[in-house]
Amino acid sequence: MTDIIHNLKTTRTSQKPWLTLKAREMMEAWLFVSPSFIGFLIFFLGPLCAVVYYSLTEWNLLTQQATFVGLRNFENALLENPDFWHVVRNSVIFALGLVPLNMALALTLALALSRPFFGVVFFRTVFFAPVITSAIAWAIVWKFLLQGEGGFINQVLALVGITGPNWLREPGWAMAAVIITRVIKMVGLNMILYIAALQAIPRDYEEAARLEGASRWQIFSMITWPLLAPTTLVIMVITTIGSFKVFDHIYQMTGGGPENGTLVLAFYIYQQGFKFFNVGYASTLAMIMFVIVMALTIVQVMLRRKGME
Amino acid sequence: MTSLLLKGIEKHFGSVNVIRGVDLRIDDGEFVVFVGPSGCGKSTLLRLISGLEHISDGELMIGDRLVNEVQPSERGVAMVFQSYALYPHLTVRDNMGFGLKVRKVPAGERQRRINEAAATLKLDALLDRYPRELSGGQRQRVAIGRAIVGNPDVFLFDEPLSNLDAELRVHMRSEIAALHKRLSTTMIYVTHDQIEAMTLADKIVVLRDGRIEQVGSPRELYERPANMFVAQFIGSPKMNVLPAANAQLLTPAAVVPASAESVGVRPEHLKVSKAQDGIVRGKVSLCEYTGAITLLHVTLPDGQLCLVTSDDHMAPSLGSEIGLTAQAEKLHFFDHQGRREKPVSDVGVQ
Amino acid sequence: MTQRQIQILYRACWTIALLIAAIPFVFPFIWMVSAGFKSVTEIFGAPTLIPRVWRWQNFIEVFTYQPFARQYFNSLYIAILVTVLTLVIASLAGYALARMRFAGAGLLMLFLISALMVPEEVTIIPNFFLMRWAGLMDTHWPLILLPTFGPHGVMATFLMRQYFLALPKELEEAGKMDGLSRFGVWWQIALPMSRPALAAVAIITFLFSWNLFLEPLIFVSSLEMFTLPLALSNFNDSYGLPLWNLQLAATSLAVVPILIVYLIAQRQIIESFALSGVKG
Repeated sequence: MTDIIHNLKTTRTSQKPWLTLKAREMMEAWLFVSPSFIGFLIFFLGPLCAVVYYSLTEWNLLTQQATFVGLRNFENALLENPDFWHVVRNSVIFALGLVPLNMALALTLALALSRPFFGVVFFRTVFFAPVITSAIAWAIVWKFLLQGEGGFINQVLALVGITGPNWLREPGWAMAAVIITRVIKMVGLNMILYIAALQAIPRDYEEAARLEGASRWQIFSMITWPLLAPTTLVIMVITTIGSFKVFDHIYQMTGGGPENGTLVLAFYIYQQGFKFFNVGYASTLAMIMFVIVMALTIVQVMLRRKGME
Repeated sequence: MTSLLLKGIEKHFGSVNVIRGVDLRIDDGEFVVFVGPSGCGKSTLLRLISGLEHISDGELMIGDRLVNEVQPSERGVAMVFQSYALYPHLTVRDNMGFGLKVRKVPAGERQRRINEAAATLKLDALLDRYPRELSGGQRQRVAIGRAIVGNPDVFLFDEPLSNLDAELRVHMRSEIAALHKRLSTTMIYVTHDQIEAMTLADKIVVLRDGRIEQVGSPRELYERPANMFVAQFIGSPKMNVLPAANAQLLTPAAVVPASAESVGVRPEHLKVSKAQDGIVRGKVSLCEYTGAITLLHVTLPDGQLCLVTSDDHMAPSLGSEIGLTAQAEKLHFFDHQGRREKPVSDVGVQ
Repeated sequence: MTQRQIQILYRACWTIALLIAAIPFVFPFIWMVSAGFKSVTEIFGAPTLIPRVWRWQNFIEVFTYQPFARQYFNSLYIAILVTVLTLVIASLAGYALARMRFAGAGLLMLFLISALMVPEEVTIIPNFFLMRWAGLMDTHWPLILLPTFGPHGVMATFLMRQYFLALPKELEEAGKMDGLSRFGVWWQIALPMSRPALAAVAIITFLFSWNLFLEPLIFVSSLEMFTLPLALSNFNDSYGLPLWNLQLAATSLAVVPILIVYLIAQRQIIESFALSGVKG
């Protein structure tokens, strides 16, 4: 039979199209991704390279153009400029306040709302509502509520005989106010992620544990919490990165004040770059932010790998 | 008019060779079944013919056209998928007419062909339903209907019955056979179920590790397997393979070719006899009663297991010692590489 | 007490705790609307939920203080445009990354993943100079281009890719056998089956654009070009102090329609965010 096959003539050359099917698929694929890819090059990769270069230049209102100065800006930020460490300290306080509070509240709400009961939809809808609201609108309303004199919060406190502070005018209170209002705004998102994770845990585990006489707390600490670990990790990193990016909320509520008490990294970049036009220095700050976010992401990936093993 | 010719077909996925040089001729109107264990490349071979995978090397002719670089839709083939692949957002009618619409067949002609196919497959009442409203068997029929309306030169079936329950599978099998009889179009059918292969095929292609082991009619494969793999793959329960020396013990009439290393004998060709000298002996270690027949697991003295089917109602009891005999012409001999040795008795037959 | 009674008591305690917890989530919205109807003097008087005098005039002054209608329209059309663009671009690229074999796919994925993780703040300075160079300052182009192609657009691409990967491949192959081109398979088979993912991307993209603040703040300077968040933060008197009643009235106008849509489609909207899982 093999002989017959090889005796038959084929007409390969006359039928070959100008593109093979394989080459054609490749071309089509690049056509599909090209809008995305070109945009990526112009608005992301190009600017990312540029910001690396800017960070190595002296470029401000006085110079009006970029002069290469090597790592001078980094030296300035890390070693000389007291503002920088102040900002870092603020950002860290902000993150340390926001992340645990946000996560603890999100998990508590999720545990309460992961099983159907009368009113569950109402509560989920309520706790999630601030997430879809503009941060500016949210900050406007809270700034209004938190005014020193005549602000609603202080008027309520006055009813029980407490003289409330001038929340947004005293550095410590301002930071606390910004953190708490931000938690209220964003906790719904983490709550939803936790609910999804909780609902993905098979009921069998809990039922088996209950048959063995485990208490509610034992079931949570020995079954639910360990099974939530991957979700907790993701939420922790996302929330931490998110806390370093907070800008609009602080812009509207405190403008970085008082006495730079709420001046965090993202706001500092904006201030240096677009208010004071210190392009070189602002780019250096952007690079530092980039490194922090990357480091957090790498930590997350590594922890997740470790968790899988 | 639509024969197929595969010349030295190869397919690599990266460094993995899935198909390693397949030569095959499929004649017009033939029903060809690709069969083999999972991972043997039978589905890949079908997908190479359909054009859903690119051929790495070799030539594929459909009719007198070289189609290596021809789009799937222009090869004149239609495919019935394992999962049926019915568009969930379209009705049965639109599912069947979709290909025609893409090919800009006028609406009137389209309707005529859909109705014709629907009548053939008894789908008339279901035309305005959505796939999710159909049973498994009905979906299967729609999938076939979709293939028919395009009036293809070649039908390709990719394990079309594997998602159906046993009863429906037997039924659809006969419907596909009837369809082939009526259309007498070339059909290529992939399955891992050798019963499907045996009942449907004009020609079976047994594949292993991306190579053809044997091509032939079901009867040829059963009676004259080219090697030990085919011998054991075709037929159920599978063929027993024993050291060649046993041939003389099974029947004194056996003529053992000089280079034969093993002898194969199917369970249904072994006869139970009393244990005595000059006969293969063994102990019954398990009896599986299925009604029509009883399957005996017999442990031979060297520890090998040998299967025997017995339609005798007086099956031997568990643990008893029995003897086994066979007719000389039912023995298959294989050399040290597992290739078939022509028994001396074959010479006369051919 | 019986087991059943304990159960009921337990539930009741939880419900009351949740109701109390809900106050800071709901109250700001209520107070916002209420204060939007008050006069300046009443705002700083003793707090009342229902205004003593309903000052409808606030809602007229909102539109005379700055071109608020125009700004509202800006936000709306930009958000719609960004949503449509993102849907098209993300589903095209997501489809190719999910289904097509092409040289450079792996590298492209790696690039896009890295883009996903970099905040807009990092690249905003060079993008500022890029837009200035292109003469697009004080236009809406940066507000359309940057969100579409930025980390959010990449996130949408991955969301679409994940969804396409989970679709049965055989359906698309059937389409190919039926004579569809690649584009046809994408348009006529993959997209109709991806409605849930498309809806999710549409919802989060619309809200993302609608609430965007940093980009408008940097790229837009004339009042007619403002978007809503920028306009809202701009209700100040000549000393830079907030005109509270106008600002809260305007904020109500900006927030309440979105809240109404949210209440109607809360399930779909919440699920969309759960699906994306990487925002915030």
